[in-house]
Amino acid sequence: MNAPEGHSLLLDRGNLKRRRRVSATVGGASTVAALLAVGVLVVVVGSVLLKGLGALSLHFLTTPTALFGESGGGISNAIVGSGIMVGLAALMAIPVGLLVAIYTTEFASPRTAHPIRFVLDVLNGVPTIITGIFVYGLLVAGKHQSGFAASVALAIVMLPIVARTAQEVLSLVPATLKEAAHALGIAPWRATVRVTLPTAAGGLLTGALLAVARVAGETAPLILLSSIFAPGVLTEPGEALASIPIFIFQASESPSPEAHTQAWAAALILIAFVLLLNIVARAFYARSRKRMGA
Amino acid sequence: MAPETRTQYQEDLEALEASALGGLDLVSAALGRTMEAVEHQDVELAQLVIADDDRIDGRYLEVHQALITLLATQSPVATDLRLISALLHVLKNVERMGDQCVNICKVIPLTGNEPPADEEMVRLILAMGKQTRTLISQSKRAFEDRNVEMARDLVRQDDVVDNLNRECFGLALEIGDDPDRREWAMTMLLAARAIERIGDNAVDIGEQVAFVVTGLFREFEDASHPSA
Amino acid sequence: MDIRHPIESPTVTEQNPEPQADPRTGLGDPRPMVSVAGEPEAKPAKRSREVGNVALQGLSAYYGSNHAVRGVSLAFDSAKVTAIIGPSGCGKSTMVRCINRMHEEIASARSEGKVLLDGLDLYDPRIDIVAVRRSVGMVFQKPNPFPTMSVIDNVTAGLRLTGASRGELEDRGREALVGAGLWEEVKDRLKGPGVGLSGGQQQRLCIARALAVDPEVLLMDEPCSALDPVATLRIEELIAELKQRVTILIVTHNMQQAARVADTTVFMLDGELVEVGPTDKLFTNPDDDRTEQYVTGKFG
Repeated sequence: MNAPEGHSLLLDRGNLKRRRRVSATVGGASTVAALLAVGVLVVVVGSVLLKGLGALSLHFLTTPTALFGESGGGISNAIVGSGIMVGLAALMAIPVGLLVAIYTTEFASPRTAHPIRFVLDVLNGVPTIITGIFVYGLLVAGKHQSGFAASVALAIVMLPIVARTAQEVLSLVPATLKEAAHALGIAPWRATVRVTLPTAAGGLLTGALLAVARVAGETAPLILLSSIFAPGVLTEPGEALASIPIFIFQASESPSPEAHTQAWAAALILIAFVLLLNIVARAFYARSRKRMGA
Repeated sequence: MAPETRTQYQEDLEALEASALGGLDLVSAALGRTMEAVEHQDVELAQLVIADDDRIDGRYLEVHQALITLLATQSPVATDLRLISALLHVLKNVERMGDQCVNICKVIPLTGNEPPADEEMVRLILAMGKQTRTLISQSKRAFEDRNVEMARDLVRQDDVVDNLNRECFGLALEIGDDPDRREWAMTMLLAARAIERIGDNAVDIGEQVAFVVTGLFREFEDASHPSA
Repeated sequence: MDIRHPIESPTVTEQNPEPQADPRTGLGDPRPMVSVAGEPEAKPAKRSREVGNVALQGLSAYYGSNHAVRGVSLAFDSAKVTAIIGPSGCGKSTMVRCINRMHEEIASARSEGKVLLDGLDLYDPRIDIVAVRRSVGMVFQKPNPFPTMSVIDNVTAGLRLTGASRGELEDRGREALVGAGLWEEVKDRLKGPGVGLSGGQQQRLCIARALAVDPEVLLMDEPCSALDPVATLRIEELIAELKQRVTILIVTHNMQQAARVADTTVFMLDGELVEVGPTDKLFTNPDDDRTEQYVTGKFG
């Protein structure tokens, strides 16, 4: 083919076909990988759904676990127990995590803030069984298991998640807003409370929700700290409480097929809860980012 | 210091200054030819000068337009602004000078094709013309060099022209009773007057030089404030 | 409460527990003298020439070892607009930020010398830094309304966060919006989000917000550089109106803007004060050759 006058450089030199092939291959491979990743979640959720739907019923949700050997029963005590323990953990971890984040982003010098961030990241990576053992030695050894001890362990797991997310979000608040507040003659602490925090509110909530979602299914500490409990719905944190992860664990070890189905159903509840929290958390985060970009 | 910025603008401004001042060369040449026409009563040469004034007018329009454009597009300030303002004045002066030459050339045919009635008057007028040409080139030099002293000196040079003009006037008064001679003398006075106006325009250019350099506009000398 | 005006609000704000320094003796209660600005309900009228006088004496500012402002001494005319021009990095923003003590917010920053407001050194250790910023307001380059607050809450943010009554807030908010030329445009959407306004409106909102605390001096750091030409011109008109109430210092990159709005212009270079004078003189016949070079665009 003859090139138009002076445009020989634009001519295809024969590697156009090859480039197209490579492009298509890479594109195809990444699409497959993405589908695979999504597929895994779909398969997990799907199988839990299929296997657990059978046992899901109002009765299941409102009846405490059956005693050993008996049938029927549900997970009402597990739901209540999980709720109390996670709730207590959140009550402890979220304020502390927030304050740590506020301290490192607003008031600490870079020299202090950096090590704190590092420590939090390390804490985030500590295997939860170790956290469990630590709290066991602190609160259970020589005494007895309790929902409170489990809460403490869960709070320790939650803390770095809350703190790090809060830190990220707070540092996203444009410095110009803080400047504007200070330039108006608003005292720094007031500026933080009335300007920075509200602006970051969405993101802070996200961090809290994600932390809750994470520990809702945390099992290792619970095995050590709150796995042997009395039957019926218990609400006293001083005693060991039931929980959904422990229920799943114990039900799946039982010989009865009904228990197995119940385990799947409980897993379904747990997954639904976690998914819901994640979705809500992301929504808040998106709204928060939009606000700060404005 | 940072590298030169706005070089295009600077070049444009310099070119326009050269063009405006070049108009003074045109005027000087026109005046020279005018004097020749007066000396030899050359009507055809006079016609040529009149026609050629179109070139001076053209120069005026062209440079004027370009300066206005520069004002609109470049937002000049300080020295640049004063320079542009001064060049606008200079252009006007140049155009006026050209018109005065035309005025002189217009009266030449009226003197007829006979020899001049009074040699002395003609001589005076030619002297005025020569002196005024010196004035014109000095004003051009003063502007180019931004030399305020040289600009002020234009007043002194212009005084020479003014004195010659007065002498002409005196001679005309004593030209006698002959109506033809009187008519001729009156006509020559018009010419002298026109040359004197050209000189004044050159002094005005000198005042513009002072304005560009000092930022102040002062009349060197005018009718209401004669120098001591 | 700002450092100049008499205490008349019954609520004492937490920021200023100690009495403010008297400029004459340096001690005791503030002078009970300023005629206009004391009354919160009064329509803001022309200020007396006794307030809003800013003077710098040997001001130097540093970022670590970088000497950004070098020994500048300068007095700004009260109730006038002064523009500060100069190439990037010449220290003009830094100098201005020293006046409301925002410069020291940056980690490695420090300063020397004096900044006098009506004769009172703002760097005196007894001065409450938060109160300084009530008397010396600031508008920034990019409009920065608080995103979680409505229009009216934004305007009254400086007042609200220091304890004032509801009615007072609304009145002063309206006054400030009128003063900023924004009232007509937002009076029907006072509860709408502050960030829902256009760029030019947001900047005028920020100006209203700064005005609401009734400062004596308003610092503007390139306030129009993020705005379109029409919005810019509106704000310039506003500046011309405002200068009767507040002394205005405006840092600008735009020389035509300085030429349009300012009564006095200051030219800075490499942290030093090069020339200060009436604007028309600086732009038609500056004294210093460096000023000449800069304004005609030979560098910068």
